[in-house]
Amino acid sequence: MKGPQVSITVSDLTMRFPVYGVDAKSLKKSLATVTVGGRLGSSLTGATEVTALAGVNIKLKAGDRLGLIGHNGSGKTTLLRALSGAYEPDAGQIEIHGQIASLLDLNLGIDPSATGLDNIRLRGRIAGLTAREIEDKLEEIGEFTGLGPFLAMPLKTYSAGMQARLAFAVATAVDADVLLMDEWIAVGDAQFQKIAHKRLLSLMERAGILVLASHDIDLIRLYCNKVMVMKGGVASPVTSVKNLDDLLADA
Amino acid sequence: MQTSEHMLRTGRHGTLHEFGMAFADLKASTRRIGLAWSLAWHDIVSRYRGSILGPFWITLSMGLMVLGMGFLYAEIFKVPIQRYMPFVALGIVFWGVIVGVITEGCDTFVHASGMLSQTSLPMFTFVWRTVLRNLITLAHHMVIVVAVLVWFGFWKVANVPMALLGLLLVLLNVSWASMAVGIASARFRDVPQIVGSIMQFAMFMTPIFWEPGRMSGGRAHALLVLNPFFHMIDGIRAPLMGGQAGSGTYPILALLAVVGWLGVFTVFTLTRRRIVHYL
Repeated sequence: MKGPQVSITVSDLTMRFPVYGVDAKSLKKSLATVTVGGRLGSSLTGATEVTALAGVNIKLKAGDRLGLIGHNGSGKTTLLRALSGAYEPDAGQIEIHGQIASLLDLNLGIDPSATGLDNIRLRGRIAGLTAREIEDKLEEIGEFTGLGPFLAMPLKTYSAGMQARLAFAVATAVDADVLLMDEWIAVGDAQFQKIAHKRLLSLMERAGILVLASHDIDLIRLYCNKVMVMKGGVASPVTSVKNLDDLLADA
Repeated sequence: MQTSEHMLRTGRHGTLHEFGMAFADLKASTRRIGLAWSLAWHDIVSRYRGSILGPFWITLSMGLMVLGMGFLYAEIFKVPIQRYMPFVALGIVFWGVIVGVITEGCDTFVHASGMLSQTSLPMFTFVWRTVLRNLITLAHHMVIVVAVLVWFGFWKVANVPMALLGLLLVLLNVSWASMAVGIASARFRDVPQIVGSIMQFAMFMTPIFWEPGRMSGGRAHALLVLNPFFHMIDGIRAPLMGGQAGSGTYPILALLAVVGWLGVFTVFTLTRRRIVHYL
C-alpha cells in the first residue's frame, strides 16, 4: 500500500471539546485572551466548550514529512489524535489513505505486572497485528529490545529505561504508511538511542507520510520537509520547511 | 493505530450518517472480535496473576455459598435438598454472569480511555471485551453447574439446547444493558454506585434463593412477570432442571433484547462522537 496512493487530506477541520462538570463561564472572558489553549465558549447544552482546532486544512502525499510547531495547547496533539481516528471532527473532514501508526503514547496498553513477552503480544494486538503476525515478529522485537532473559520477567521488575526500550520496540514494530508522532522519541541509554534512532529513520523511510509535532525547531529542520505553525487552534498553511524562519518571525 | 487502509472522518451529516457510522463501528468490532477476546483473556490473566487457583477462587467461594445456602435454606424453607441445592446453585452461577456483565459494564469505556483517545479501535470492541471476560469466568463456574446436575441426577432430564437458547437470550440482554451503563458511567460518575445498588436490590427480589412457587396471589405474581431478571434466570435454570420456563419467558427475553438494543444503539448513535470526550 505504499506509493502515490498514500495521502492525507484534511479540510476545514474544526474540533470542539465539551468540558463536562466545569463551569467556566465566569472565567470565560479572562481566559479568552490568553495565548495558551484554545478558545473557550459555551455550547447549547451548557457544557463549556473549548475550540481546540478551527478550520485546519492539510494536504499531504507520499514523501511528505510535516512538522507541527506551536505553543502548549495550540492543538498539535489534538490534531494528531484526530488524524489517528480517535477524535471525530465537529466540522470538516479528514480522509487518510494508508495504514496509520500513532506513536503518541508509548505506554499505551502496557501492563506492568505482565511479562515482557506478554506485553509485546498485547500491544501488538492493539496495534492491529494478528496473533500469527505477532508470533512471527516476536523474535525480532525481542532481539531489538536487547532485554534477553528479562523478556520472561514481569515488566515491573524492569528499570524505567528497560521499560521504555520494550515499549519503543513494540510500538515501532508496525508497518505503516502514515506515522504520527508527538515529539521525537528518544529513550534508553546512549547506545540504545543510537539504534532507536536508526529504527525510527527506517520506519520513516518506509512510511509514506510523517506527521511530527515538536517544540524542537532543529529536529523539525532535520526530519521534515514541510511545516505548519499552530496558534490557538488555528493553523498556518502547510509550507516548505525553507520558509520556517519567516513563519517563526510572524508568529 | 488501525489497520484499515482508508479512513474517512467527517463532521455531523445528519442522523442517518451518524447511524451509518455507529453501524460501521459495530461491524469493525465483529471483524476484529479476536482483539476483544485477547483483551478479555488478558484481563483474566492479569487479574489473577500470581494466584494458584486463579478464577477458580471465585468458583470455590461460590461453591461454598451454594453448599451453605443449600443446606441452610432447604431446612428453613422445608424443601427437599435434592431440589433446592441445584436450584440455588444454578441461580447463583447464572446470576453471577448477569450481575458481572452489567456492573463491569460501568468500566467498559472508562478503563479504555487510553486506547479510545489515541486509536480508532471500535468502541464495541470494549463492550465485547466485558462480555467475553464474564463468559470466561462463567466457563470456570460451569464446574459447579455440572457437579450439581450430575450429583442430583438432573443431567438425565436437563434440556441443554433450551438452556443454551436461554443463555444466548440472556447474553443479548445483559450486553445491551452493559453498554448502556458503560456510556452512562462515562458521562456521569455516579452511575456505577446506582447500578451496584440496583443489582443488589434485584438479587433479593429475584427468585435466586427462594422458589417462585412459594409466592401466591396476583400481586406477587406480577412481581415475577415484570421482573426481567426472573425471566433471565428462569430461562436458563428451568430447562436445566428438567422443567419448563414460563410460556412467556423466551418471547419476553427476545422482545426485551430487541427493544433494548434499539434503544442503546440509538443512544450510541447520538453519543458516539462524544464518549471519548466524557472520559
